[in-house]
Amino acid sequence: MVQNHRREDHETGGENKEKRPKFFINDHVDILIEILERLDGRSLCIAASVCRLWCTIARNDSLWENLCFRHVSPPPSSVRSVVLALGGYKRLYTGCVRPVRSRLGRVRRASWARDEVQLSLSLFCVDYYERLGGSNSNGRLVEKSSPSSLMFLCKPVNV
Amino acid sequence: MLRYDSTSSSAGSSSGSLSSSSSSSKPPQQDIDGLLAGAGYKVRSSELRQVAQRLERLETAMGNSPADFSQLASDAILYNPSDLACWVDSLLTEFAEPPPTCSSDFIVDPVNNQTVVNSAWTAAEPHTPQVHQNITYDEQQSLDNQLTVVTAMEEDSGIRLVHMLMTCAECVQSGDLSLATSLIDDMQGLLTHVNTICGIGKVAGHFIDALSRRIFQGMGGGSVNGGSAFENEILYHHFYEACPYLKFAHFTANQAILEAFDGHDCVHVVDFNLMHGLQWPALIQALALRPGGPPLLRLTGIGPPPPDGRDSLREIGLRLAELARSVNVRFAFRGVAASRLEDVKPWMLQVNPKEAVAVNSIMQLHRLLGCEQTRNSPIDTVLSWIRGLNPKIMTVVEQEANHNQPGFLDRFTEALYYYSTMFDSLEACRIQPEKALAEIYIQREIGNVVSCEGSARVERHEPLAKWRRRLSGAGFRALRLGSNAFKQASMLLTLFSAEGYSVEENEGCLSLGWHSSPLIAASAWQAVPAWDNHMSSS
Repeated sequence: MVQNHRREDHETGGENKEKRPKFFINDHVDILIEILERLDGRSLCIAASVCRLWCTIARNDSLWENLCFRHVSPPPSSVRSVVLALGGYKRLYTGCVRPVRSRLGRVRRASWARDEVQLSLSLFCVDYYERLGGSNSNGRLVEKSSPSSLMFLCKPVNV
Repeated sequence: MLRYDSTSSSAGSSSGSLSSSSSSSKPPQQDIDGLLAGAGYKVRSSELRQVAQRLERLETAMGNSPADFSQLASDAILYNPSDLACWVDSLLTEFAEPPPTCSSDFIVDPVNNQTVVNSAWTAAEPHTPQVHQNITYDEQQSLDNQLTVVTAMEEDSGIRLVHMLMTCAECVQSGDLSLATSLIDDMQGLLTHVNTICGIGKVAGHFIDALSRRIFQGMGGGSVNGGSAFENEILYHHFYEACPYLKFAHFTANQAILEAFDGHDCVHVVDFNLMHGLQWPALIQALALRPGGPPLLRLTGIGPPPPDGRDSLREIGLRLAELARSVNVRFAFRGVAASRLEDVKPWMLQVNPKEAVAVNSIMQLHRLLGCEQTRNSPIDTVLSWIRGLNPKIMTVVEQEANHNQPGFLDRFTEALYYYSTMFDSLEACRIQPEKALAEIYIQREIGNVVSCEGSARVERHEPLAKWRRRLSGAGFRALRLGSNAFKQASMLLTLFSAEGYSVEENEGCLSLGWHSSPLIAASAWQAVPAWDNHMSSS
């Protein structure tokens, strides 16, 4: 993009520099956010490695919140505080919503979208609880420090 | 008693003979198959495969030309019918049945046609045979054909194992312990022929262990759950991770409790077996998000007293409290330490009359079914004080099995079928060490069902129909688990990588099973208000 910018500069010449506005997406963060909001999870992760600005924006939890509730009517506001308390939307999406959606993708019906998110939330909560146990000073409660209740979601589907 | 010998003719088995440890003398015709000899037929063990094949062909021939068969039945004279191989051959020549083009079908099918072997044991088929043999055939068969024969030989050993297990259990029931002991030796030898990594061999191994423990320790022999409460918790946790049964139980019970608590501001949950409290985070989160805001939640967790003074109940309570605090749910926890559920008295729970109470029992009620069915048996006592609490809902999840019959053989048969199915379902789990520890958890259950008696036997599973009768008779009526619970359970199952799980709805109760064999059933109950009038009249 930087290359185009320079080429435009050369091509248009001196006096056209003022008339033709040069568009650099990073100057328009609101448009950038609008675009990033519409990406899917994988693209969003790729976008996060483009440059520092994109990385900062992609880390913003509200983008991931959009991803989680994209096909669902907006949830009540209480959901946000709960999800943030349990670890944030990015974690919710990557840990629960995405694997749940991909697993259920084959058999999903339209009415399941909301239930998928609710199920993901419940699983997410169990996961948070297990993480609590790992950080507990008395480590005897859970054998390993890494929570395992979501591991059944991590394995590839064995069809 | 004829003993099974590892035959070395057509299959070219490389493992040693079974009878190396025998003390009885070898019978003269040691090649004759023992089981068929008991039925009156003389067949050489080495020829079992061919005879089975030919019987199949005879059956198809009889089906194809019934006219010939009727003539055969009325006019033919058969000499020496106990020599089954010759008999079948002579009948086949009568039909002049041409040799089949592909005989491999006959080899694999007998497993499915056996009435003894149920669909749960077909898991033995897909795995690659562990026994490597040099198979010499006269005809140049294809490699597939050879492999199916080897697989079939293993399945054959698997079927034999099952037969021997049943015979051994029968001996134990009738008290013939010497025969039972020799059968144990035989079975352990037969185990070397069978793949014990998965399938029937693994389950059979556990049952053989349990049987031998029962025989050698005498009745009431030792508590199989000799592991500490801490060990049990770890195993339980891994069983939770490895397969969906406990997750299904928790999620279904939570959904029912959530619906029952609708509209109440002070709610109290009594958990009969807290363990690590894995059920409650989801309920706390659901209550936090319910329209109208979360209620005040009190949780009373019952668990065994800690052996080393560590207050594990309180630690779990603190963890749950921290979670509840994070999601802004007012929460209070109380732990009740009791080694047996019947030791708990209702005053320990400190139930406030104004609050809505939910009682949650995940696989705990069956432990109260002592062997005596007296009037004041533990189950009646506990059920009556539960009724006294007047709970809005009581969620009961129990194993869907009949492991509390008085007769040992019946119990053994049921347990063999049930746990084979459960082990099959566990095959799909790939996460280690969860899978291995989950198997140890199940193994302990098997040990308790098979080798313990009296008060030591706590795994007294009863099927849902019996629980329905029992609970209805104790003054409870069933609540229907709604469609939300069913939907949630179906979704949860789809997440598990195995495709064999199924949820079924049965008169308002949900059961989770493997390939339509239900293994665990969840139901919800409520106390009937006007029960005391009935009680005084009975």
